[in-house]
Amino acid sequence: MTEGLIGFAAVLALVLIRVPIAFAMGLVGMVGYMIETSFRGAVSMGARLIIDTAQDYGLSVVPLFILMGLFVNKGGISRELYAASNAFLGHLRGGLAIATIVACGGFAAISGSSLATAATMSKVAMPEMRRYGYSDSLATAAIASGGTLGILIPPSVILVIYGLLTETSIGKLFVAGIIPGFLGILFYIFAVQLTVRRNPAAGPAGERTAWPQRLAALRGVWAVLLLFALVIGGLYGALDIWPIYLSFSPTEAAGMGAAGAFLITLFRRRLTWSGTAEVLGETAITTASLFSVLIGAWIFSNFVNIAGLPEALLAMVSENDLSPWTVMFIILGIYIALGCVFESLSMLLLTVPIFFPLVTSLGFDPIWFGIVVVVVTEISLITPPVGLNVFILKGVVKDVSTATIFRGVTPFWLMDIVRLALLLAIPALALFLPGRM
Amino acid sequence: MLRLFLKLPIAIAGAVLFLLMVLTFCDVILRSAFNAPIEAATELTKLGVALVVFAALPAISYRGDHIAVDLLDPLFKNPFVQRLRDGLIAIACGVMLIWPTQYVQVLAERARGFGDRTEYLEIPQFIVGYFIFAMCCLTIAALILKGVLLLVAPRFVEDVA
Amino acid sequence: QEKTLTISTWLPPSHSINVDMFEGLIDMMEEATDGQVTAEIKSGLAPPPAQMDLVMDGAADISIIFHGYQPGRFVGTKLIELPGYEGNAEAASVAYWRVHEAMLAELDEHRGVKLIGLSTHGPGQIHSNQSVTTLADLDGLKTRLGGGVAGDVGAAVGLIGINVPAPKVYETLDSGAADAVAMNVGERLGFKLTEVAENLYVMPGGLYRGSFAVLMSQETFDSLSDEQKAALDAEVFGEPFSRLMGAAWDKSDADAYAATEAAEGNTITEASAADQEAFATVAADVRAKVLAEIADAGIDAQAAYDMVVSEMAKESGGS
Ligand code: NA
Ligand code: NA
Repeated sequence: MTEGLIGFAAVLALVLIRVPIAFAMGLVGMVGYMIETSFRGAVSMGARLIIDTAQDYGLSVVPLFILMGLFVNKGGISRELYAASNAFLGHLRGGLAIATIVACGGFAAISGSSLATAATMSKVAMPEMRRYGYSDSLATAAIASGGTLGILIPPSVILVIYGLLTETSIGKLFVAGIIPGFLGILFYIFAVQLTVRRNPAAGPAGERTAWPQRLAALRGVWAVLLLFALVIGGLYGALDIWPIYLSFSPTEAAGMGAAGAFLITLFRRRLTWSGTAEVLGETAITTASLFSVLIGAWIFSNFVNIAGLPEALLAMVSENDLSPWTVMFIILGIYIALGCVFESLSMLLLTVPIFFPLVTSLGFDPIWFGIVVVVVTEISLITPPVGLNVFILKGVVKDVSTATIFRGVTPFWLMDIVRLALLLAIPALALFLPGRM
Repeated sequence: MLRLFLKLPIAIAGAVLFLLMVLTFCDVILRSAFNAPIEAATELTKLGVALVVFAALPAISYRGDHIAVDLLDPLFKNPFVQRLRDGLIAIACGVMLIWPTQYVQVLAERARGFGDRTEYLEIPQFIVGYFIFAMCCLTIAALILKGVLLLVAPRFVEDVA
Repeated sequence: QEKTLTISTWLPPSHSINVDMFEGLIDMMEEATDGQVTAEIKSGLAPPPAQMDLVMDGAADISIIFHGYQPGRFVGTKLIELPGYEGNAEAASVAYWRVHEAMLAELDEHRGVKLIGLSTHGPGQIHSNQSVTTLADLDGLKTRLGGGVAGDVGAAVGLIGINVPAPKVYETLDSGAADAVAMNVGERLGFKLTEVAENLYVMPGGLYRGSFAVLMSQETFDSLSDEQKAALDAEVFGEPFSRLMGAAWDKSDADAYAATEAAEGNTITEASAADQEAFATVAADVRAKVLAEIADAGIDAQAAYDMVVSEMAKESGGS
């Protein structure tokens, strides 16, 4: 138990002086494992995981989903999504911000990452909101918060990794994210309303679009719907299109999604040779850095495991006679605290091996817990002082201070907490759809 | 030269990714429409992803594309201190990779001794092991080179990256 | 001196290998050494094909391997996977250990580690999400197959192999990406096949069996006291532990048969006499091929096969 906690603190310290997460976790994991076993044992374990992790069939889903998102993005879909939601919602008070949220939700349905969603939408929506005189704090907050939906609305790289870490069905996790994801859109819209009610100048209404133009704008959206239907329908086993019955494993869904996105972008004549090479290269780079982190995390989690931290936590819970919900609230408190500092993936990798055995042994549903973890991870992305989505906005809109963005995020953050509470009170929000698979 | 070293492996990794996408597509269609899946698809996917990851690893290590947390960056405002920190960390990362990398070779040699092969294509496992070993060696070299350059010849780093 | 060993497992926590076999092993070791040698089970340290390396290098003290996951490394172990043996998993596991001691050990396929138990699961059968009642129904069935002999038999009866890792079996069948899975009947419980593969097609003696070995780090064993070593070798390792594993497989098969009979919509179809006869021909071909492979490795394969048959008969008759 003590060794495990020291290891945890060591990783934190290394990460804070900017040692790459993969190396920090790998080093601490190997040294710790060495203390528990032997030098040869630790080095052999590390080497085996270097060889095996890259050849893990389950993980092949990761590069393929990244590829899908990047291809779609090349096709200019983010711009069209925004244009379409703007045509319908822009004339409302705060309408451009609402349209941003909805477009983020749409983009989340084809992208597996929150950072990608925020980065993409910021380039499209920010200039538009500025043109209509939106306050910087509302405009940036809407994008930063809307972007977090990227990991909840399927596909989601974070859910894939949770599924692989815990041997939980990735298909079910994806489907479980749909309702909480839609709730997220609704709650964020409500947050926009709260902001403009308090300060109408923050989000003036845009022009009303006539119906013919609205319908025309919708034409850009078919590709998103098609891809979402292909990926989720295939995972659900619902694509019974005579004479072919399409049904995918997660890796296949990702591969089909990527191929579909490639074909659509090609069909729209948006793909050049150099553009394709760029997308493929970026995917390769992201894949290699993600896999490095996964290898480091696995090594670290082996150390935590062999040092007996999960068992010690379990013993502590039973000795102190804590009720399952008390434990759950403590865990969520830890997540929200860690979320102040940590980035989504590293937070997941550090905590899930420790908490998951505890949570399932207390009788909580693994799928539901996965969704809860993703929601708290979403919250971490917009919690100061380190909110990655906020930093992404800061990177794109250099003349806005981080404090301004965080101020604008506050109502969205509160709505997230309300959504989390709802999810805790009504697990069926997550479990209803996967239960019908 | 260094530029080619950084770009070529990523181009190869990208090409492999594209082939993986095509392979999955064909496998699903052949299975669903013609009841004839590509039996080696899983195995090829595994090998392909390993190829992508390890082909790109030395280049991303040199470019500094590893995921890191920049929470305390405001404390390292001085560019000299920043360079010192980054240089030392890169060298340390390279050095700590030496031991597991050595053992990757031991395991590859062991797989050769046992005659391990992949299931469908019967590719000897030690070839995969030695490829990973070679790319890890390059990664170590890339990290140490980057670190040393940052410390003694920072201008040169900026020129290529 | 007291010693707590680490057992590495890659199977889900509720699997019979963990709750019956490894817990059973811990009990046996404690009893043989008056509680001095015990162990704790750690899961998920590395994927299945990495387990032998973990044990060889001392990253874990004990682990279980499935020989089929390492194509090329093990040939002699295919002997016990052949179709057509009569008898349950306990008889087969005991026979397996005896034949190993008498003949297979010569091949030294577990070099670098201490072999402490061998076993095979119960007969491998077909679990499908569509109706399968005859041998002919297997032709063209998209089936998740294990490696080794299971693959050879599958090809011979016309199964189309779908290659997914074991933890993905449920969702592969559930989504319809595969029609069936070949497994021992006991796995119906752990993989929840009663939900996604309602139909069980039983070939008496099985289409194949699956070979497992439990390994211990030689260094760890050497670090024990001489009395502990002697007690473990005499009372636990080898035939006693192999027997315990076989009995646990039989118990899981029996539990799964009962659960399948009780589960709504589940069917159990035993192969007709004609299909059994037809399969016997297929089995003979596969047997000839595999025995030739084993003979090439350097032992009298036919004699080893005959010994399995006679030892199993002895075990089955005696009990
Ligand atoms: Na998403
Ligand atoms: Na945060």
